[in-house]
Amino acid sequence: MSPQDRRIGVDVGGTFTDVVTVRDGLVAVTKVPSTPGDPATAVHDGVATAVDPDAPIVPLAHGTTVATNALLEGTWAEAALVTTDGFRDVLEIGRQHRPELYNLAQERPAPIVPRSRRLTVAERLDERGDPLEPLTDDEIATVATRIREIDPEAVAVSLLFSFEDDEHERRLVAGLRDHGVSVPISRSSTIHPEIREYERSVTTAVNAALQPVVSTYLDRLTDRLADHVSGITMMQSNGGIASAAYLAGRPVHAILSGPAAGVEGALYTARSLGISDVITMDMGGTSCDVALAADGEATISTEVQVGPYPVAVPMIDVHTIGAGGGSIAWLDAGDALRVGPRSAGAEPGPICYGRGGTDPTVTDAQAVLGRLDPTRIATGDAVTGESLANAVAEPLSAVDDDPDTVARGILTVADAAMARAIRVVSVERGHDPRGFALVAFGGAGPLHAPSIARTVGIPRVVIPPYAGVLSALGLLVADRVLDRSTSHVRPLADVDPEAVEDRCRAFEVETRKILTAEGVSADRISTSRTLDLRYLGQAYEVQVPAPSPIDAPAVTACADRFHDAHEQQYGHATRTESIELVTIRVRTVATVDPPSLVHTGGTDHVDDAVRTTRSVVFDERHPTPVYEREQLPVDGCLDGPAIVEGLGSTTVIPPGQRGIVHDTGALVVEVEP
Amino acid sequence: MTVDPITLEVVRNGCAAVAEEMNATLVRTAYSPNVMERRDCSCALFDAEGEMINQAETLPVHLGAMPFSVAAALERFPPEKLAPGDGIMLNDPFAGGAHLPDLTLVTPVFDADGELLGICANRAHHADVGGATAGSVGATATEIYQEGIRLPPVKLVANDTLDPDLLGVVLANVRTPDERRGDLRAQQAANATGRRRFRELTDRVGVDTARAAFDAIMDYSERRMRSAIADFPDGTYTFTDHIDDDGRGNEDLPIAVAVEIIDDRVIVDFEGSAPQTGGPLNAVFAVTASATYYAIRCLTDPDIPPNAGCYRPIEIETPSASIVDAKPPAAVVGGNLEVSQRITDAILGAIGDVLPERSIAACQGTMNNLTFGGTDPRTDRPYAFYETEAGGFGGRATGDGLDGVHVHMTNTMNTPVEILETAYPLRVEQYGFRPDSGGPGRHRGGLGIRRDLTIRDHDATVSLLGERRRTPPYGIAGGESGSTGEDYLISDGNLEAVSPKSTHVLSAGTTVSIRTPGGGGYGDPLERELAAIRQDLELEKVSIEHARRAYGYDVD
Repeated sequence: MSPQDRRIGVDVGGTFTDVVTVRDGLVAVTKVPSTPGDPATAVHDGVATAVDPDAPIVPLAHGTTVATNALLEGTWAEAALVTTDGFRDVLEIGRQHRPELYNLAQERPAPIVPRSRRLTVAERLDERGDPLEPLTDDEIATVATRIREIDPEAVAVSLLFSFEDDEHERRLVAGLRDHGVSVPISRSSTIHPEIREYERSVTTAVNAALQPVVSTYLDRLTDRLADHVSGITMMQSNGGIASAAYLAGRPVHAILSGPAAGVEGALYTARSLGISDVITMDMGGTSCDVALAADGEATISTEVQVGPYPVAVPMIDVHTIGAGGGSIAWLDAGDALRVGPRSAGAEPGPICYGRGGTDPTVTDAQAVLGRLDPTRIATGDAVTGESLANAVAEPLSAVDDDPDTVARGILTVADAAMARAIRVVSVERGHDPRGFALVAFGGAGPLHAPSIARTVGIPRVVIPPYAGVLSALGLLVADRVLDRSTSHVRPLADVDPEAVEDRCRAFEVETRKILTAEGVSADRISTSRTLDLRYLGQAYEVQVPAPSPIDAPAVTACADRFHDAHEQQYGHATRTESIELVTIRVRTVATVDPPSLVHTGGTDHVDDAVRTTRSVVFDERHPTPVYEREQLPVDGCLDGPAIVEGLGSTTVIPPGQRGIVHDTGALVVEVEP
Repeated sequence: MTVDPITLEVVRNGCAAVAEEMNATLVRTAYSPNVMERRDCSCALFDAEGEMINQAETLPVHLGAMPFSVAAALERFPPEKLAPGDGIMLNDPFAGGAHLPDLTLVTPVFDADGELLGICANRAHHADVGGATAGSVGATATEIYQEGIRLPPVKLVANDTLDPDLLGVVLANVRTPDERRGDLRAQQAANATGRRRFRELTDRVGVDTARAAFDAIMDYSERRMRSAIADFPDGTYTFTDHIDDDGRGNEDLPIAVAVEIIDDRVIVDFEGSAPQTGGPLNAVFAVTASATYYAIRCLTDPDIPPNAGCYRPIEIETPSASIVDAKPPAAVVGGNLEVSQRITDAILGAIGDVLPERSIAACQGTMNNLTFGGTDPRTDRPYAFYETEAGGFGGRATGDGLDGVHVHMTNTMNTPVEILETAYPLRVEQYGFRPDSGGPGRHRGGLGIRRDLTIRDHDATVSLLGERRRTPPYGIAGGESGSTGEDYLISDGNLEAVSPKSTHVLSAGTTVSIRTPGGGGYGDPLERELAAIRQDLELEKVSIEHARRAYGYDVD
C-alpha cells in the first residue's frame, strides 16, 4: 500500500465535519457535527472514529474555515502596520470609492489596522527601487519603541516599491527583532511583492492579523491529533496543498481553503470522466459557490474578495451567492417574490425539518413538489404533505393560491439567481457555457443543477460520487502547490533577461527547498514560470507562460505569445506597440497519485434500484421512480423524470433529461439527450 | 397582457445580468487607464420607446443622463432608419450628451421579424477629446468650441463595423488617437454583447411576454417610488447653495431649488438659479435631470430597481439659458463634473433643512479634477494624466460621514501611487487624511484628503478644476460646515495659494498640493458622545485644540 492510499481528508464545514479515508480505491466517509467554538474537537472526534486505532499513523489533509471565519466575523488579531512616511492612510482610503451609490446611510468596513496603530518611517524608493531617501537606524529604533508601547499581537510592514528592492523592509524587520519586538511580523516583500500599494498593504495586514489566530488553531490541532496523525497539510485558496507549518506563516493563502477543496474534488471527478471544461456548483444550506475550470485548470484570480477586504493573493475564482437550501423566500415591498440572502440555517432550519422553522425555504419548496423526502433529512419531526404545503404557501399567498405554483416559483427564482452566478464566472469572463459540463455537489447542488443547466444552455451535468462530502475527497487528490511572484515593471525592451532569470531561479530554489524539507521526493517536483505583460499604458495584464531559462530569445518568444493571447482574449493586437513587463510568477508543483474511484455494489438492472415511486411536480405532476444511488448499476440509464437519493444528496432528473451511471459512480445527466 | 410574478423576476434578473455583462466587457476590453483602472463608464438597457429598463450601477452622473442620449439618437435615427448592426455615437451636450469627454454609443436590438425590441447603450469618459487643454477638462474655456470635438448623433457603426471615414475624423481631432480607437472598439464590443444577450433573454420568454415584462418592471419601480415619495409630508422645501465662481471672476453663483411634494409626486423647480456663466461651469438639462434623479433616489429607497419608472413621478423645471439648463455655445465641461454636485447638495439641503434625519449634511461637493500634461523625459513620449480626488462624506442621522471617499455624482477609483510614478514623470509626496477638516457635529463630517504631486525632470502643464473653496459644505440639524478645499503650489520651500480653476506651466521640482473639502456635520457638536471625541483624538482625526474649540472638550 503506497502512502497515498492511507491518507485522511478532513473538511470542516459550518454544520458537519467530513472525514474521508481512501484505501485501495475504496472511500470511507465519516460525518460528525462541527464544533464551531473549537473546530479541532470535531476534527479529532472524526479522525478518531474514522481510523483504526491500531493502524499506523497517517498523514492528514485539512480544509478549514478558521481563517475565513476570522475574516467574516471580525475575530482577527490586533496588528500594527508600518508604512512609508506620508502614506499612513493608504490602508484606510483604499481605492477611494464608496461601496454603494445611493445609500446615504452606508458604512465602509473599518480598516483592518486602525489609524492609531499605523506607524510610518522616513524612507523612500523610486519606481526602479533606487533609494531617494535612506532608512536610518534611528528611524528603526524610534518605530520599534512605538511598537513596543502599542504592544500589538502582530506587525505588518509595507513600504512603497518594496517589490523592486526589499532591503529596507528586511532591515526594518531585523531591526524590530533586535529591539525586542517578538510577535509575528509579515512583510509585504514576501507576502505579496506586487505593484499597487493599497492591495499589497491590505494583503500583508490581513496576513499579520490572521497569523496569531491560525497558528493557535494549528498548534492545538497538531497537539490533539498526535496519536493518529503524522504531519498535517492544508488546502490553500489556489487549490494546492501546503504544509500546515508553512501556512501558519502565510495564513492569507488559506482563506478559501474549504471552497477550493470542493473545486479540486469536482475537477478530479470530471478528469476521471475525461472532461476538462467544467463549471462547478457547490450548493449547501446558506450559499452557493460557483467556479469555472477550462482545460482542466480552475480559473485563478487575484481579485477575489472574502469578507470586508480585497486580498490580492491568487485564489480559485469562486463566486458566492446567498442562495442555498435554507434560503428564505419572501415578498418585497412591491410584492415581488424574492429568495435569500437570509437563511433559516441549521437551526431552526427549513419548515420541513420540524424544528420550529416557520419561514418557507428553497428546501421546503423542493419537498412540496415531491422532489425531496423530508423524512430522510429532517432533524426533528418531519413536516410533510398538506401541512407543509400550507405552511409554505400561506406567507406567499400574494403570488398564488396554489402551493405547487408558489413552490415552483420559489425554485424558478432561486435557479435564476444561480444561473446568473454561472453567467458571471463564464460569459462575463469570456467563456461560452455551452461548451462546459456542470459538476454539482453539496447537499443541494444535485437537486437544482439539471434545471439550471437547461436555463444556461449547459449540455451535461455531472453528479460526483460522494457529492455530499466532495470537499473532503478533494483534499486527497490535490497536488502540493507553492506560488511565488514579484512585480518588476519595465518596458519589455529594457528588461535585462538575466535579472528575470535570477528572480525565477531564486524562487525555484526556495520553494524546492521547502518541499524537500517536508519530505517530498525531488522527482515529483516541477516548476513553471509566467510573465504578466501588457501594452504600455494599459491597466490590465495578460499572463503568458515563459520558457526556462529566460534569455533574449525567450523574451522575444514571450512578446509573440502576448500579442497572440491579447488577440484571442480581447479581439485585437497591435504588434508594433511597446509591451511592458509587470509581474514575474513561479509556480512549484509536487504531484500526488490520486486514488482511483470504483463504483461497487449495484444491482443488475436500474429497475432493481427503485426504492419507491412518488408523485412529483415538474410542469405537471408525474409519477416518478425514486432510485437508491448506491444500488444503481454501472452504465444504467435513467430517463427523466427520476429522483436519485444518495448519501447526503438527492438528484432530480427532470422529464426529457437522461442520467447515465459512470463506472466511477458518477451520475452523468444529458440535458438534451 | 399580464406577466406572472415569477416570469417578471426572471426578466428583471435577466436584464440586470445583461447590463452587468456589458459593463464587464467594456472594462475588460478598454484600452485607457481611465476606463480600465478608474472605471469611468456606464451601461444600460432600454425598451423600443427609449425607456430605461435597467442599468449597471456605476456612476450616477452617467446613469440619469443616458436616457437623453437614447432619445436624441432615436429622434435623429427613428427605427425605420436603423438596421441590425448599426450603432449611433454622440457626445454633443446640446443633442443628448452631457460633456464632450463622455462618448455614448446607442445600439438598436431587433427581434426576428425586424421589429425594434430595445436599445443597448454605454457611455465612457475618454481621456482626451481634443480642444484647448490636454485631457479636455480645462477650467478656462468660454465656448464649447474650445472644449473638443462635438458629435451630434452619427451612425459610427454600420454592419457591426466602425465607419472608417467618421472614425478618421474623430481620431484626427484628439491627442491620443490609438487609445481612443481602443476605447471605441471596447464600447462597440460591450453593446454587441448586450445585443446578443438581450435577444437570448427575449427569445427565451417570448417577445410579447418580454415587452409586457419591461412595462411591468417599470410600473413596479414607479409604484414603489410613488409610495416612497408619498411618505414625505406634502409641502414646498426650498434651499439655495452656491457655485464658488465660473473661473472668470464671477463669484457666488446661486443654485436655487424648490422641491414641491404633492401626494406621490415631486416637482423640482430651479427658478432663481444663476444665468448661464461665461466659463465652463454650466450644466445642460440632461445633467441637471441626472443630479435630480440621483438626489431623489437617495432620499427614497435605494433598493428600488433603477429604471424609467423611478423617474416618472419626478418633474423638473429649469429657467432657460441658466447654469442648470445651458444653451449653445456655452462651455459645459464643469457642469457634469461640478455643477451636478451642487444641484445634489441643493436638493438634499432642501429636505435636510426640515427633515434632517432623512437627508445628509453636504458632502465635499466637488470632484477636484486635476490634469497633468507634458513630455515624459524618461521616454520622450507625450503624456496626459487625469485624476479626481476623494473628500469628506456628510454626517448623517445614522453616524459620522465617511472619510476620504468619492461622493454623490462620481465614484471613480484612484490611481495607485506605484502605478502613477511608473507610468508618469510625477512623484506622490503624500496621500492622507486632513485632520480637523470634518464639519463638527453630533455626527462628524468625513475628512478631506491631502495629495501632493511633484513634477520630475520636465516642465508640465497643470490644470485644476475644483469647487467648495469659498462656500463650505454645509452642516445640518445644528451641525457645522466642513472645511473648504485649498490648493497650493510649492517650490523651493515656498507655499503659494492658487485658484482651484486655473492652468499653469510649471517647472521641474514644483509640487501641486490639493487639500479637499471635509463633509458637513450632523447635529449639535456639543452633543457628540465623549467616546466618539476620544476615539477621534486617539485616531488623530481631530486635534486636541480642535476638540476643545469645536466640541467643548475639556478633559485632558
